[in-house]
Amino acid sequence: MKNTQTAAEMILPDSSHEEEENKAPAKAKRSKPEEDEGEEVVYHPVKLSRSDLYRPPTAEELNQLKEAESLFHCSLLKMQMEELLKEVALSERRKEQIDSFVQTLTKLLQTVPQSPEVEVSDMSWLSGAVKVPFLLVPKTPKGKFHMAPPASVDLIGSYPLGTCTKPRIVVDLAVTIPADILHPKDVLNQRYPRKRALYLAGLAQHLTSSSDIGTMHYSCLHGNRLRPVLLLTPPGKESSIFTVRVHACPPPGFYKPSRFHPQRNNIRTEWYTGLQASQSGSDEPPTPHYNSSVLGDLLPRAHLQFLSAVSSQCSAFPYGVALLKVWLHQRELDQGTGCFNGFLASMLLAYLLTTHRISNTMTAYQLLRNSLNFLASTDLTENGISLARDPDSTAPSLADFHNAFQVVFVDPSGHLNMCADMTACTYKQLQHEASVSMQFWDDPTVDGFHSLLMIPKPMIRTSDHVFQLCEPAKLQYSCKKLNLLSELMDHSGNYVHTALPFILSLLQRGFGQRINLLTHSLSPEPKWSVESEAPKHKAQPPLSFGLLLRPELAASVLERGPPADSPKAAEFRQLWGSRSELRRFQDGAITEAVLWDGQSTYQKQLVPRQIITHLLQLHADIPESCVRYVGAKMDDVIKVGREVPSTGEEESLLVIQSYDDLSRKLWQLEGLPLSITSVQGAHPALRYTQVFPPLPLKMDYSFFDKEKFSRSLVPKEGKPCPAYITPITVICHMEGSGKWPHDRLAIRHIRAAFHIRLGELLKKHHNYTYNASPTHLDIWKDGLVFRIQVAYHREPQVLRESVTAEGLLVLRDNEEAQALEMAIIHRPLLTSTLHGLQQQHPCFGAVCRLAKRWLGAQLFSEDITEDTADLLVASLFLQPAPFTPPGSPQVGFLRFLHLLSSFDWRNNPLVVNLNNQLTAPDYTEIKNDFMASRESLPVMFIATPKDKKLSMWTKQAPSVQMLQRAVMVAAESLKVLEHQLMDGGQIQDVRVVMRPPLDAYDVLIHLNPKQVPLLSQAVDPPAVTFSRGVMTGSVAQSGGALPVIDYNPVSLYLAELRDAFGDLALFFCDPYGGTVIAVLWKPNAFSPVPFKTSQVSARNVKVTGDEAKTVPNVEAILEDFQVIGKGLVKSLEARTERWSF
Amino acid sequence: MAPSKKKHAKTTEACVIPGGFTVLSLQFNSDSEAQHKLYVKEHKVRAERSSHRPLDRTLFVLNIPPYCSQDVIKELFSQFGSVQSVELGDHPGSFQQSGPRLSRVFRPAEKQGFKVGYVVFQNSSGVTEAKSHPNNVPLIVSTGEHPVKTGVHKWIQQYTQSFTESDKLQKIVDSFMEDYDKRKEEESERQKQEAEQQQEDEEGWVKVTKGNKSTKARPHSEAANQKAIQREMRKKQRKELMNFYTWQHRNTQKEHIAELRKKFEEDKQKISLLRAQRKFRPY
Repeated sequence: MKNTQTAAEMILPDSSHEEEENKAPAKAKRSKPEEDEGEEVVYHPVKLSRSDLYRPPTAEELNQLKEAESLFHCSLLKMQMEELLKEVALSERRKEQIDSFVQTLTKLLQTVPQSPEVEVSDMSWLSGAVKVPFLLVPKTPKGKFHMAPPASVDLIGSYPLGTCTKPRIVVDLAVTIPADILHPKDVLNQRYPRKRALYLAGLAQHLTSSSDIGTMHYSCLHGNRLRPVLLLTPPGKESSIFTVRVHACPPPGFYKPSRFHPQRNNIRTEWYTGLQASQSGSDEPPTPHYNSSVLGDLLPRAHLQFLSAVSSQCSAFPYGVALLKVWLHQRELDQGTGCFNGFLASMLLAYLLTTHRISNTMTAYQLLRNSLNFLASTDLTENGISLARDPDSTAPSLADFHNAFQVVFVDPSGHLNMCADMTACTYKQLQHEASVSMQFWDDPTVDGFHSLLMIPKPMIRTSDHVFQLCEPAKLQYSCKKLNLLSELMDHSGNYVHTALPFILSLLQRGFGQRINLLTHSLSPEPKWSVESEAPKHKAQPPLSFGLLLRPELAASVLERGPPADSPKAAEFRQLWGSRSELRRFQDGAITEAVLWDGQSTYQKQLVPRQIITHLLQLHADIPESCVRYVGAKMDDVIKVGREVPSTGEEESLLVIQSYDDLSRKLWQLEGLPLSITSVQGAHPALRYTQVFPPLPLKMDYSFFDKEKFSRSLVPKEGKPCPAYITPITVICHMEGSGKWPHDRLAIRHIRAAFHIRLGELLKKHHNYTYNASPTHLDIWKDGLVFRIQVAYHREPQVLRESVTAEGLLVLRDNEEAQALEMAIIHRPLLTSTLHGLQQQHPCFGAVCRLAKRWLGAQLFSEDITEDTADLLVASLFLQPAPFTPPGSPQVGFLRFLHLLSSFDWRNNPLVVNLNNQLTAPDYTEIKNDFMASRESLPVMFIATPKDKKLSMWTKQAPSVQMLQRAVMVAAESLKVLEHQLMDGGQIQDVRVVMRPPLDAYDVLIHLNPKQVPLLSQAVDPPAVTFSRGVMTGSVAQSGGALPVIDYNPVSLYLAELRDAFGDLALFFCDPYGGTVIAVLWKPNAFSPVPFKTSQVSARNVKVTGDEAKTVPNVEAILEDFQVIGKGLVKSLEARTERWSF
Repeated sequence: MAPSKKKHAKTTEACVIPGGFTVLSLQFNSDSEAQHKLYVKEHKVRAERSSHRPLDRTLFVLNIPPYCSQDVIKELFSQFGSVQSVELGDHPGSFQQSGPRLSRVFRPAEKQGFKVGYVVFQNSSGVTEAKSHPNNVPLIVSTGEHPVKTGVHKWIQQYTQSFTESDKLQKIVDSFMEDYDKRKEEESERQKQEAEQQQEDEEGWVKVTKGNKSTKARPHSEAANQKAIQREMRKKQRKELMNFYTWQHRNTQKEHIAELRKKFEEDKQKISLLRAQRKFRPY
């Protein structure tokens, strides 16, 4: 609970007051204007006095400065880590609380009463209030049991070692079972584990009567049902602060470790199956996992001693472990079955220290770095490591361990593999994480600290695709199908853990080169009340698997196998079953191959799903209905295809091909007074990021009126609004020459002349219909409209020039020049750069389109513009740390939401390193410039290689309030979405995050769907459709009448509204088929102002005495909404109850 | 305005507010329930240069709704006397643009907001008539005879009118450029003449005239001035010797330590800032 709360706090900057705003953001905004911004601590450049700066340094200070400079990227990282350690360390007060509770507990435990001896299977001595934490199948064997006070009670684990960290403080307490309860033969057939469980139940029964205990639960260590533990919390309000975990252990040395050799059997098949075994005992299968779980109980004290000895030599040891634990926790690797927990982290550091890979004098920072380096470079699945200095002769060899376990890390005694439960996949994941971490740690342009230790990496945001096995009980059949009886016995009936490694290796084989990494969730440790029975295995939450795709191979529909006559062919056929068939390829080879379905990119990216369901069905008897595939779930909202479902990649490609053709034709034109120097696209559709790429259309002439002279189509009154045709902007630079006039108006006229000339030439040579206007030239080609704008590179310069009264020629920047520069220089450049990015990362465009669809649906399109959104998404690909670049639209979108909601916009610039042009010094420069003039810069600051200081894309918008709202909505959407994607039990409707709450707005203008041309793009497209003058059939390449271009009543209406009432209200609308315009009065729109000739627009005068004040004439304004939008507005919904005058 | 109020106030008084403005009501059509208020006053400025706004005959109108075009206003105010001309603009003041006249297609798009207007009547009685118009008799914008198009109708009309024939456009461009070339020629002619004036006459006298410093062929620019200053600076720097004397060396070292210290302090401040915002809690 606490966890989620703090996480939420982290996501929302200055969340304290935003949480209240959740419900009515607009209202809060109005009552609380920007003042609360000022309350925060603001960064001011440091001013040191001269004497401070230049006083002679002491040797110590000099050392400190030097260390900070040379050891770390900068001293900042060092300080950050120190601060982090302070946050996770236990305070003295907390330790006192823990100590006193442990003391009372110890006293209580010592007074456990003796009970008469009974049969193990007889549980009548337990009162009904407490159950035994054990699944009692098969039936209990023979043996005697009685309760007795523990031989000793000791602290073990991280707390006495000093490596215990917040949150989730767990204190381990070992209770030694007296020797007379146990019998040396008890290791056989789960007798010892059952006695242990009984003993715990006995303790629990004794403790229920005590008032010093808060709550009591059972759990089991690392999810191993053979090792139940008792969880106790202190009473009262401290109960949520820490937990004491009571382990029951045999007396040290009670069993000989050699009995637990991984090759030995300690569970008899005869007993387990209940059948009379025909074969003799020597053929019994080994039970390595059972052995290691019993052995694990014998050694905790020895481990503690060992670690304390190591820790006492290295002062930074606890801090190093703490950092490693934080790192592991952020990657969800430190909890659950087969995890790499804090204990293993300490053991790993101990190993590195004892083998002198790190020295005792190193700092916590260096310990973390070295251990990550070690993890990244060492493969424990191949070459296990051992802490045993000189193991006795009975200890098994590393080879023995490797035969029995997937990952090998042997403890100091030489008998126990501490990674017994870990799957190879988990270790590979650990290795992958470590190497990724090392990569960005070495990169000076990345904020290493943040990505290393601060950003959580939940599976849904890390893996490109995720799938879940919904009913774990189905794995029982898998065990049967895979013939895993002896393994099942070894895992004492836990079929999930038994089948998991086999399923993983099966999938790994099936995916082959398609994926970089296969990960799986670690089943959480179950926790149940002492009064209830132990939960069954099937009560587990579904198992989740994550795929890290290799984008270039993952979507291939063909799996080409070995030649038909090679010996490997049989293996291939065995793996793929009936899907494998012989195929002849163009190169003449005849090979085995599997062909998956899929035509469009959207379908192809789901090939992994086909592989999974096929393999699981074939080899593990898991029906398709049990596999819940979470990938491409979001893509529905940008689907465009009619016959073949597609998410627009193919359509974008078509547009770009048509553009390339046009560009070639422009280059080849002859007879222009000046030659063309460049043709550049400047439209999102030309970089694959248009939410709905323009589709080639064929017009139905009878639907339209015709213009008198040019015979162009124009909309007919009384008909529905015709289909919207996006003009695709193309910038065409003309050669610089002395012939260009040096005057703004003249340039404008010359440009118009060029538009006419270009149009005429294109008509003459290629028969394209055109329309030339002073600002642009529209070309109707392949059912698309290209809008060519001629540009002269010196024009912005001319706009800036002016002559002062003294005759001095001065350059003064102005908005007109900036806007022109943006249009003819920066936007084309951005377009081509992002086009390049798409070539490197095939899913870049799709992520942009999802992100922009979301922004549009949440009514942020005006504030976070298309270019800004594309840059934000580009940053996810260019600087993915701590992740790898997104490999699917879905994961990219989730990360976009996370970036938007968690980035510290106030204190940091977002640097988007396009084309990798920026170096480390550039980063520092950008940061320093940003810090120095933070207040005057845009709220959302995005720096690019061409724009290091101004953030031109975000200059106009968003405002502080809108950014805050966007951040909040993004955080909320992310929460809802991740929850929904990971939990199959929720209502599965991803569109929930695309439906904005409209109750925050003051007036809603409902539009007539007939006049909304993009209606079909709406989040929830209405059932009714209107004919919009489009015919089906093949599209003509050239000729024909010019269609209706860029005519969208909704945007025309919005423009008029903003022009007329922009200073009174804000207008929001979803540009993609939204049928509602939401109006929000500005915070102080209704406060009366004195009568001034410049401030009377749409206002009423109120005369009080000699003074005339004006207030907005609301009734007239509301009527104007109707009048201006006549024919478009369906109804007006004024929420007068929300207005505060 | 509630309709009930209209019935009660059957006065024929004009409503004048402090500041001297008369309030006129205006509604879109006869069915409209809400009214906008126009604020009118005779045009009065201390120094009016433009002759097309004669002081006695011009009415200054504020708060004209976006759907009222020049023609509509002309029509509306004709009831007070025949109207000579109407000018509309975004702000009070002169709307005259400097420079040559542009044809319609080359003019930048107008803002479609509330406007101010100057209505010039044929004779001054129109102004007084308008000023004494009673408040409760609203002006009606869209009538049966003169309907005003708004919304979808207007946009379709706008779209239809946005086309210009290429030939016509070409003609506009040509005539403008001809005009431009002519002006350019005149300009250079003038400059030549002025330059001639500066030359000595046959007796060796130079005529020195007052003012008009823009006589040079090219105006001197700010950028050139800046460049000159930089050149000087660079020259100075080149002459300087670095780390030559012991004191210089010591100074550099001192600067280095100061730099380190400054960075350290900066980092410390950043941290304290982050700490204040609780940015170190990993989860």
